[in-house]
Amino acid sequence: MDTLTDATRTPVRWVTRALEQRLLSLVAVVTAVVLFVLFYYPVATVFADAVVDDGAFTLEPLTEILTSEFYLVDIIWFTAKQAFYSTLASLALGLPAAWLFARFEFPGRETLRSLTILPFVMPSIMVAIGFVATFGRNGTLNRALTAVGLPPVELLFTLEAIIIAHAFYNAPLVARVVTAAWESVDARAVETARALGANPRRAFRDVVLPQLLPSVGIGATLTFIFTFASFPIVLALGGFQLATIEVFVFAKVRDLAYAEAASLAVIETVISLTLTAAYLSYEGRQRAAGGAANPLPRQSVVPTTWSPKSALQTVGIAAYTVVVGLVFIVPIASMILASVTGADGGLTLEHYAFLAERQATGATYQVKPLPAIWNSLLFAAGTLLVAVPMGVTMAILTTRRYRGRTLIDALAMAPFAVSGIVVGLGLLRGLVFGVDVFGTRIRVTGALAIVAAHAVSAYPFVTRNVAPLFSRLDDRLVESARSLGATRTRALFDVELPLVWTGVVAGAAFAVAISIGEFDSTIILAEGAGRYTMPVAVERLLGRRLGPATAMGCVLLLVTSVSFFVVDRFGGRWGEL
Amino acid sequence: MKRRTFLKTAGASGTAALLAGCTGTSGETTTAESGGGAETTTTQGTTVDGGDQTLSVGTYASFVDAPSTSPGVWLKDEFESEFDATLEWQTPDAGVNHYIERSLRGVESGADLYVGLDAQMLVRIDDKLDEALFTPAEGLSRLGDVNEELEFDPQGRAIPYDTGYISLVYDETQGEDGPFTAPETFDGLLESEYAGALLAQNPTSSATGQAFLLHTIDAKGEDGYLDYWAQLKENDVRVLGNWADSYTAYSNGEAPMVVSYSTDQVYANQSGEDLAKHQIRFLNDQGYANPEGMAAFADATEPDLATEFMDFVLRPEVQAEIAVRNVQFPATTNAELPEDFAQYAHEPPEAVTFAYDRLKDNLSDWTDAWAQEFASK
Repeated sequence: MDTLTDATRTPVRWVTRALEQRLLSLVAVVTAVVLFVLFYYPVATVFADAVVDDGAFTLEPLTEILTSEFYLVDIIWFTAKQAFYSTLASLALGLPAAWLFARFEFPGRETLRSLTILPFVMPSIMVAIGFVATFGRNGTLNRALTAVGLPPVELLFTLEAIIIAHAFYNAPLVARVVTAAWESVDARAVETARALGANPRRAFRDVVLPQLLPSVGIGATLTFIFTFASFPIVLALGGFQLATIEVFVFAKVRDLAYAEAASLAVIETVISLTLTAAYLSYEGRQRAAGGAANPLPRQSVVPTTWSPKSALQTVGIAAYTVVVGLVFIVPIASMILASVTGADGGLTLEHYAFLAERQATGATYQVKPLPAIWNSLLFAAGTLLVAVPMGVTMAILTTRRYRGRTLIDALAMAPFAVSGIVVGLGLLRGLVFGVDVFGTRIRVTGALAIVAAHAVSAYPFVTRNVAPLFSRLDDRLVESARSLGATRTRALFDVELPLVWTGVVAGAAFAVAISIGEFDSTIILAEGAGRYTMPVAVERLLGRRLGPATAMGCVLLLVTSVSFFVVDRFGGRWGEL
Repeated sequence: MKRRTFLKTAGASGTAALLAGCTGTSGETTTAESGGGAETTTTQGTTVDGGDQTLSVGTYASFVDAPSTSPGVWLKDEFESEFDATLEWQTPDAGVNHYIERSLRGVESGADLYVGLDAQMLVRIDDKLDEALFTPAEGLSRLGDVNEELEFDPQGRAIPYDTGYISLVYDETQGEDGPFTAPETFDGLLESEYAGALLAQNPTSSATGQAFLLHTIDAKGEDGYLDYWAQLKENDVRVLGNWADSYTAYSNGEAPMVVSYSTDQVYANQSGEDLAKHQIRFLNDQGYANPEGMAAFADATEPDLATEFMDFVLRPEVQAEIAVRNVQFPATTNAELPEDFAQYAHEPPEAVTFAYDRLKDNLSDWTDAWAQEFASK
């Protein structure tokens, strides 16, 4: 009681206390404003084209698509089909990785885990280059097959190629989200189940699995949404024969046929959002009690005692490693190799020399490597600072129970479900060119706008990594803290955050990855004014020869690897303090 | 205790940054301009400062920023050394769409000139905008030097400054017995020996892809081209996203033929590549001509300087330099090209191209019909 009166007496502490009490609401309001200005308003200006013609309401563009057999069957159905297969492949490839990371101890585990997020920042053109070099007619896979006397496979320009590339992007996402959940499973709950007579399999099914399912669900939902809106990978590895909705949205936007583009984008978004809402209502029902203080112990990959079961496990892990090598390591290695290969096929450093020369002598309106690195890191740091509080706040708000929660939740998740092309176009028309407000033209551009736009697309990742852990927390913990006089914010910092810290760190890594990999809104908001990032530089350096672009791609790879390592390591260390 | 201190600071600084970000967005980077109608004063682009004028030129990124060579830097230096003016390049990601978009939203163009228009873009501009984005070029002293066949704008706004011919590029080394040779006609492409041998680009989003589609329409007729493409598809032609996608796949040996430019060997020769991998084929002895033009914006603040720049670009020596650096052909008849350029840049026996009026009435119908015929089946 003493502290309370003290607090009201000293002004500084009073302010701190008032701020503490209102902090959550404040961040929530700021989140809403940022979302409205940088997301809902711009996107609405694009979607309006689908239903407004010359100022009058119309459903014609929408009905035209929904009654066209071509769009319904050839495009929309095909898009859903490839997204479904891509999701299955991503789960098949990602879940074993989560199991390995969460349950096994091996040298380099932490480092590898940090690096699982790398595919997320790889520009799709780099991935396409790596995949062609790996799975193409003269690629690594075929050379290996021929060497052991097997017939070559024609994998490129097929649905399979698209699915494998999508798994490259999304399996790490599944692995990351599920690993975070698995590591927060309380070992004591498993011990209790075992003590009560459950065998290991039963204990897994009844105790561990229910705590993993929400994260498996979020991994699958996100993968479906992302691959549903896939476009550069589809065109580069599949070709127009395998066109998706997004391919047509892009073509229509380029042709300035906005009514059709917007209608297609609306249909795409409705499907994605419906799916998100369905998932969120499922997640809301998956509440299990339990804390996260005692993670399960990890075992060694090389078993201490050999038994048929442990041998089978080791063989399985070895086989999985081979597949991972083929899908993840060989494409990246191929790209690195391309960056040191000259026109004559010999090893060379000329592409890196080109980057150095461009840095030294390039004109101001040309992209240079160092500003690109610096901008990328700056925007990533800004995004981290903005998106983490936003995401955590949304996670708290969306784990409370109230009517219409799923709707709010789905709206907050909308940045996932709207295609990058639509967001980019909306930003351009709504903010970069300016909006007339009472006779004054308001324009939003520059570094802060880029950070805000990155934060908008990144915070849902923080939310989705943290929310399942929040919903599992015992309400009584917060209630006890509150009854002992702690403010809501203090209870959050002292009681809840330490318990969900693995999710926060995972979300923070995603925020950094989203910011570094973001392309569409960056290039639009930057307006070419020296605010380009590493992916923009890669894209600009692409031309008749691949070398300079692949060299810049390798710089991106190196810089981001180090960043994630730092985020994961330091995030983890702080969590243990 | 330590954790508590850290979390407190981390939380607080995060919030502070968020708030700073928000107020900053409205405080630092927002510029207010008086909107609406005739009183609008331009605050972008050009500033007149003691007689030193600024010419703002919009163009596509690789014109100034290609990793190989690009004419942008050279043009700026030469122009500035001679004229008492500063040349400012603008390279919006959306290219000319950026300026159409501005016009649609009632925002001034903010540039004096655009470099890099083709006939298809002009059609798009005239289709979407009621007001004039560009103004007809007047007072050009060198207009007479431009090859008449390349002029593609009946209203005289866009003046050609270079041209490319879309052709096939093929790789002799990919033959199974003996060197691979591309077919000589469009019909030849349908033969079984060329199954899966051609990489093309998406005509709805790529300039080379669109030019190749137009060439097939010219060869097979409006009534026949969809059938022809259905047969091409049966013969496993691959239509990828853009030129970079398909050229990458071609360079990796995915297929022995790609739709590209007839100047392909110029760069291959410069960088010491095996020319056997860069053979040119003009189907039906024709190449589709895709001239690039420049035009002055209707709301240019330096219209006279824009005219001087266009005249400058049409000079014989500048034409030759642009051709070499942009790896295209000059648009004028009197440019003197270096010998090795002439040797490796191939001109088709016959150039094919659709006139503006023909494209204006048909282009989007043709590409839409093609897309519905070809996609996801």
